[in-house]
Amino acid sequence: MIFPFPSPSPSLFLPLPLPPSFSDIWNNTWYPKAKDHINTEKTWYVVDATDKILGRLASTIAVHIHGKNLATYTPTIDMGAFVIVFYCMNKFSLLETCSYWYGSGFFLSNLTQYVNAEKVAASGKKRTQKLYRRHSGRPGGMKVETFNQLQQRIPERIIEHAIRGMLPKGRALFNHLKVYKGPDHPHNAQKSIELLIRDKRVQKQR
Amino acid sequence: MTRIKRGYIARRRRKKISLFASSFRGAHSRLTRTVTQQRIRALVSAHRDRDRKKRDFRRLWITRINAVIRGVGISYSYSRLIHNLYMKQLLLNRKILAQIAISNRNCLYMISNEIRK
Repeated sequence: MIFPFPSPSPSLFLPLPLPPSFSDIWNNTWYPKAKDHINTEKTWYVVDATDKILGRLASTIAVHIHGKNLATYTPTIDMGAFVIVFYCMNKFSLLETCSYWYGSGFFLSNLTQYVNAEKVAASGKKRTQKLYRRHSGRPGGMKVETFNQLQQRIPERIIEHAIRGMLPKGRALFNHLKVYKGPDHPHNAQKSIELLIRDKRVQKQR
Repeated sequence: MTRIKRGYIARRRRKKISLFASSFRGAHSRLTRTVTQQRIRALVSAHRDRDRKKRDFRRLWITRINAVIRGVGISYSYSRLIHNLYMKQLLLNRKILAQIAISNRNCLYMISNEIRK
């Protein structure tokens, strides 16, 4: 098909206000300038990993770190967000801790309860059957661990291992993931937002 | 035979070549033999990447459209959008859709809602 009208000048048809660094949008594909990916201005997300299925959680987190949920995604530039993952190993009921701190008169109608939380979950028999392997480089140096054993030893490594496999190679993006055992993390200054996970099956079924 | 010096012939030829590679890094812009080789590699890359450029950009547009479209609903995706576009015979190409996605995301949502009906 032939369109006989002349191409309009960019200034007439640009929708305002424009995102950063925009000139002739119909003839030049948008490419981020330096001020579009400053590390100090990126979003920080926070996720609670207790009782979530490992792979489904890791998939959503990896998408956010890589930046693939953004319209401004560029493969050569790190446009993604930072993600903090925390989970509690042995959770007491919140009721117990609060009544310990505030005395028994504390009224708890608005608080959620975390009772018998199971840390990061895996369906089926993966707790005893999923193997994590590593090799020291020397002959006969293969070391194998089950999911359960690794969770006892270094629980952060399970989530990191899952997400590292879903990110592009190199440490740059992987360093944007922060995993912490326990409900506290040192990133309170970043004012992180709760990460919305759209996969409905990420929560472990009881 | 009379003696013939080659004079400036070779130098003239090499000057053209090293002009091409004058902005290359280190020895690649200074040493004549390396310069000739690097120029050839550069031209080969340019030739091959002229076709790659078309592929790469289309890939980028598709990824960007996909990223924005998946925000519409839980089971909407780039593939369904393109299917709907073709069913309604809307001729917007991926480049324009990607630029709309970045500049004016609501416009893209409007388009996708219209063609979904």
